[in-house]
Amino acid sequence: MPPESSDLLQGTLEMLVLKALSLTPMHGWGIGHRIDQLSGDAFQVQQGSLYPALQRMLRKGWITSEWRITENNRRARYYLLTRAGRRQLEAETAAWARASAAVNGILRVRTADGTP
Amino acid sequence: MSLLTDAMERLKGLFFRDRRDQELAEELRDHIERETQERIRRGERPEAARRAALLAFGGVEQYKEAVRDARGIRPLEELGADLRYALRGLRRNPGFTATAVLVLGLGLGATTAVFSVMYSVVLADIPYPDPDRLVLVSEKNSPTNAWNISTADATAIRAQQKSFEAWGELSRQEAALSGTGAPERIVIGRVSAGFFKALGVPVARGRWIEPRDEAAEAPPVVVVTHELAERTLGGPDQALGRSLTLDGISHQVVGVLPPGRTELGGFRAAAWPVLKLPVPVRRGPFWLRGVARLKPGVTIEAAARDLASVSARILPLWSDFPDSLAKLTPMPLRGRIVGRAEKQVGLFAGAVLLVLLLAITNVATLALVRASSREAELGVRVMLGAGKNRIARLLVTENILLTLAAGAVGLLLASLALKLAVSQLPNLQRIENARMDWRAAGFGISAALLAGILVSLSPLAALSGRGAGVQTDARRAGTGRRTNTLRSILVGAEFALALPLLVGAGLLLNSFVRLSRVDPGFDPNGLVAVTVALPQGRYPKPEQQLRFWQQAEQRLAEMPGVVAAGLASDVPPDNSGNYDNFNLVDHPVPAGRSEPASPWYYVSAGYFKTIGIPILDGRIFTVADSSNGPPTVVVSRSWADKYFPKERAVGRQLIQGGCYDCPRTTIVGVVGDIKNLGLAVPAEAVYGPVAQSGARSLNLVVRAAGGTAAALRDLREQVRALDSELPVQESIISALFDDSLADPRRWTMLLGAFAGAGTALAALGIFGLMSYVVRQRRREIGVRLALGAQPGTMTRFIVAKGMRYALIGSGIGLVVTLALVRRMATMLFGVSPTDMLTIAAVATLLLTVAVLACWLPGRRAARIRPLEAISTE
Repeated sequence: MPPESSDLLQGTLEMLVLKALSLTPMHGWGIGHRIDQLSGDAFQVQQGSLYPALQRMLRKGWITSEWRITENNRRARYYLLTRAGRRQLEAETAAWARASAAVNGILRVRTADGTP
Repeated sequence: MSLLTDAMERLKGLFFRDRRDQELAEELRDHIERETQERIRRGERPEAARRAALLAFGGVEQYKEAVRDARGIRPLEELGADLRYALRGLRRNPGFTATAVLVLGLGLGATTAVFSVMYSVVLADIPYPDPDRLVLVSEKNSPTNAWNISTADATAIRAQQKSFEAWGELSRQEAALSGTGAPERIVIGRVSAGFFKALGVPVARGRWIEPRDEAAEAPPVVVVTHELAERTLGGPDQALGRSLTLDGISHQVVGVLPPGRTELGGFRAAAWPVLKLPVPVRRGPFWLRGVARLKPGVTIEAAARDLASVSARILPLWSDFPDSLAKLTPMPLRGRIVGRAEKQVGLFAGAVLLVLLLAITNVATLALVRASSREAELGVRVMLGAGKNRIARLLVTENILLTLAAGAVGLLLASLALKLAVSQLPNLQRIENARMDWRAAGFGISAALLAGILVSLSPLAALSGRGAGVQTDARRAGTGRRTNTLRSILVGAEFALALPLLVGAGLLLNSFVRLSRVDPGFDPNGLVAVTVALPQGRYPKPEQQLRFWQQAEQRLAEMPGVVAAGLASDVPPDNSGNYDNFNLVDHPVPAGRSEPASPWYYVSAGYFKTIGIPILDGRIFTVADSSNGPPTVVVSRSWADKYFPKERAVGRQLIQGGCYDCPRTTIVGVVGDIKNLGLAVPAEAVYGPVAQSGARSLNLVVRAAGGTAAALRDLREQVRALDSELPVQESIISALFDDSLADPRRWTMLLGAFAGAGTALAALGIFGLMSYVVRQRRREIGVRLALGAQPGTMTRFIVAKGMRYALIGSGIGLVVTLALVRRMATMLFGVSPTDMLTIAAVATLLLTVAVLACWLPGRRAARIRPLEAISTE
């Protein structure tokens, strides 16, 4: 197997996907697009890593997928958040909040002469 | 994450791989389409937009691979590839595959069959609820001497014990069944109500015997087996309420056992009539078995202490039994049911395990040769990027596939072998339960998997020893020292495994030959007997019974074609073991010690002549030895030698059966020894006159001049003429002796077959190794021959080299043998388990076979043509 991307990045992407899907079921392109939008284009989701991530999340049971007919009469695969996925999102959100608060706390510490 | 979701997704990924791939392609196409549209919407030109979308995504194929990896099916896909590859490899090499599958299949089949027998005979729980709480209570005065309990014992236990939740007694007898068709003799178990309560087995219909049935005035009742109800009472539904006449007494059927339940507490019987315990008048006789269920939480040791205090309390009450060492002792019922089988079956489980190990070793050698001959191919694979792990996995896959195929063959063979075993080894209790079930199949498959791993070890060891350098030179293939060392170790191991097998078989054979050569002390040919029991109902008085016996003996003696006729309570080789205790007036046992006991027979004077037992001293019975004359006995020579080693036994007196108030019994004669109790048992015996026995059941024995079949027919007719309702049971004495040899013969043949297979496998192993050595050293041998070496020297060189492995292996085998073989002691007759002659003989046999197996390739070495050998390089 090829080496996995680092846990932080992978975990972050999965969390963002869960967040995007918590709003509404979406297809793969839509998920990427939505994350780009929500982040104000701060993140560019690597499209190549999006689909493997979706596959992994399917295996973990966080999301399910189904084929739907889209507004312009095309077949597209939609991903839906499962109950387990929703719990995972809550857990990750909480963990993220704690971690980022901690990191922020560290970053706010200043040296005696006031330089960061 | 749910394991199930994960597994399902992976499986879907595996089985619907093509559909998944299509869906993935469609999904990615859709993605790129949308990206393109989006870019067009933002104002890019269609061509440029599409190219940019593709670029933004990167290599589509690469992502497909990444997604497939994320599905988690790569290891499974690789396994699939390995399996396909292994199958191809095995098909390409049918000789190797067939040999390995057959050798291992035989080993696994035998092991699985023996396991299944062992499970049902030894390991399986006895079929009662909470079986560990069931005990059998006996009298016991030394670790090896135990016997039944008496009415006095049972009465005392009933009144005083504190350890049992339920307690009951059993007396197993034979009885004449009449009134339901032709009279016949069946085995019955007279039992009290507590016996059923202790075992806790439900009846299928009706009820158990209850305490109220034990009252002296209560009508006799009986519980019957399903089989007896079917056979004689018109089926289990009709049986209830009908009556069954046992020994002339009518019993009402109150219950029917479930189908297939032919034994209770390890005792086989067709009917279970009520046991009405009489009031004890003395301590003996010891005729009952006690069965009890321990209260929850009471240990068997606590129960033993409880019963020991009961023994101590009743000892002073009865003067006829002064043995203060005798204690009422509980023993696990399981031991009674599993009994001797544990040892016998254990021995064969050990033997079959050795055979399996030999088979595995043999196939491991084959697999090693195959792996080394594929060194070139594996080298190429390494060069193309296969890691060592990947190659190891490939080898293991291949071997496990091989051993699983062998396992399938083994299961097939095992189910055949089990059918054979169930019909051929009926003397093992519970063997009828042995069959090919999920347990046996599970064992067989696990053994096959284990074998696969073991077989893989040697090629893996060889693989790990290989340097990083890639060998592609086919001619040099397999020359690695490590491979050769491994092979010689494996071949040595085969000899170490084969020797114990051969020694075991040799010992059993030796023991069997000795047993079959034992002189029974008389000529069994032409001797036939029928057992007759006189029912209480029609022969209530001892005089009536005696008159019947005397008339019968007279009629038989006058039959044409009859040389002699007699009466006996048991005929050789009798196994019912009727013993009585006695105390010699001249040499009494010390106070507080138990009296000696001997096998005790009641016979007529004609019996000695019929069997051909010589009178050595004194006289045999006459009309004077009647029921109101003084008690007399005749003893066998072994008995006289044992109890009167330096004196004349005739004229001495003894106290019989602990009856100190009775008249003394006088020894009136000494007769020759015969093997009354079977060939393996000493011949000491005491004979009393029929007239003084009050025997209700006797054997009419006849020595016929003509055929035994005609004699038996005449015997039956004579009995019918005297009383047409008496059932008879026929025996041919010579056939009984043959039957007593049947079991040792079967065990000997079985272990012999295992040993034969083991020797053949070891020979095959060393033959293969030496053939390989000769091929490998072809060039060197050629050069030496060209330089003038004698061909004979080459043969000797190869044989000597091979024999080194065989000798070292056998040496280790000898140590293993000496450690294992002592367990066989109780199965042997007249041979010590470390009998040097047997061990030397089988070791010689094994090494001779090894010499032969090395000589064949050695001779090939001698015939190598120097020129060809050198120029083919």
